[in-house]
Amino acid sequence: MTTAEFVKPGTLDEALAAMTRPGSMLLGGGTSIGILLKNRLIEPQTLVWVGALPELSGIGIDGDGTIRIGAAATLRELARSELLAGAVPVLPDAAGRIGNPRVRAVATLGGALVHGDPRQDLPPVLLALRAQVDIAAGSGTRTAGLDGFYHGFMEVALGEDELITGVAVPARTAWRDRYSRFTPGSEDDFPTVGVAVSLRVGDAGLVEDAEIALGGVDSRPILAAEAAHSLIGTEGGGAALEEAARVAAAHCEPGDDARGSADYKRKMVGVWVRRTVAACLSG
Amino acid sequence: MRLHFALNGEEIACDAEPDALLIDVIRDLGLTGTKEGCAVGVCGACTVLVREVPVCSCLYLAAMAEGAPVWTVEGIAKRDPALVECFVEREGMQCGICTPGQVVSAFALGLEHDSATEEEIRGFMSGNLCRCTGYVTITEAVRSYLDHR
Ligand SMILES: Cc1cc2nc3c(=O)[nH]c(=O)nc-3n(C[C@H](O)[C@H](O)[C@H](O)COP(=O)(O)OP(=O)(O)OC[C@H]3O[C@@H](n4cnc5c(N)ncnc54)[C@H](O)[C@@H]3O)c2cc1C
Repeated sequence: MTTAEFVKPGTLDEALAAMTRPGSMLLGGGTSIGILLKNRLIEPQTLVWVGALPELSGIGIDGDGTIRIGAAATLRELARSELLAGAVPVLPDAAGRIGNPRVRAVATLGGALVHGDPRQDLPPVLLALRAQVDIAAGSGTRTAGLDGFYHGFMEVALGEDELITGVAVPARTAWRDRYSRFTPGSEDDFPTVGVAVSLRVGDAGLVEDAEIALGGVDSRPILAAEAAHSLIGTEGGGAALEEAARVAAAHCEPGDDARGSADYKRKMVGVWVRRTVAACLSG
Repeated sequence: MRLHFALNGEEIACDAEPDALLIDVIRDLGLTGTKEGCAVGVCGACTVLVREVPVCSCLYLAAMAEGAPVWTVEGIAKRDPALVECFVEREGMQCGICTPGQVVSAFALGLEHDSATEEEIRGFMSGNLCRCTGYVTITEAVRSYLDHR
């Protein structure tokens, strides 16, 4: 292996400084990087470990209900967080079903977002939640919607000098959120199809706002905005739901692989959009 | 780079490449109980504890364990001999290749959840794959270990 240096910065500023070294790469928990390193798919000269950085840790909630999660929080912390279980239960539910306990103990939220494999679970969940990503660079900080973050297979809109410090999820008042990961083989597989649905339901039982996000069925996790739109102003069932399922299935561009043929995945998008919306509305 | 950590309760220092994986460092130190199975974090044969939490040592960069307690099956067998006894008594193994990982995960479960239900045992041990037993005797061994604690 070619890595010349392992840096453990003590502060965010030290991390940003270390990132200016040639061939540097951020390391969260290494569960993706470990595999890439072994197979020499990456050859970083410097690894900058941000997985233990105090400024990137912690899970909290603002006065207005905005939920804030540090990029170094592990999937295990997400899965076990009582705060998240109360404020946004879909997140610990999804995080707790990723990979296996040993992966969850090490993998970080930052790594889970930036790895950019379209089959991953958290990106569609966070897309449907309209999450914002907090980004720091030597030149300053910025906040970006997760919508627009994913450009293609393992391609994200993040500069070489930028790192993710955390994620903000808007308050869930009146929202209902559900995620389905369909694994016809083994439960610990990557999903064949992942469907995240967030619905804001008014007092009259009508859907006032909606998001549907899909994983595993395109080169990147995607929002099916038109499908979600067809639910708005309806009770979310019947013809409107059929239409949402149809539009979502037509919207994606899955490929054939070991987890299913493109045709099968497209059909499963329809099935799981229907089921996930129904689950959202039933409680 | 120079690494320092507490391996099975003993402070050690060793030299390792900056991108060395923990499994290679441990095995090079002569502790070959930890097995590399799938090498991609799926099978669980390489499970060790870092900071008392089970991790895949085949994906874990050794440098991330700097200054931390690390426990392998060799140390855990000494830390709680009753655990190994339970696996022997219940025949929680056949070929044995997955056993080190099973033992380490079972110990980790005991650290946090003595009264785990069978479903919780299966959840915690999921991803410690065994291709021989069908898991029944492994689950029984873990149950009997937790009852024993
Ligand atoms: C056996 C196994 C099974 C899995 N199953 C699933 C599954 O079912 N569903 C699923 O969703 N995922 C699954 N995964 C993938 C897993 O979610 C990712 O490997 C993990 O989330 C990556 O997190 P990490 O902290 O280990 O990232 P690392 O490997 O450390 O890094 C991944 C990428 O993120 C970058 N990065 C890390 N932190 C930051 C930061 N703060 N800012 C900017 N960039 C950063 C790194 O530079 C790198 O490019 C599985 C992985 C394994 C090994």
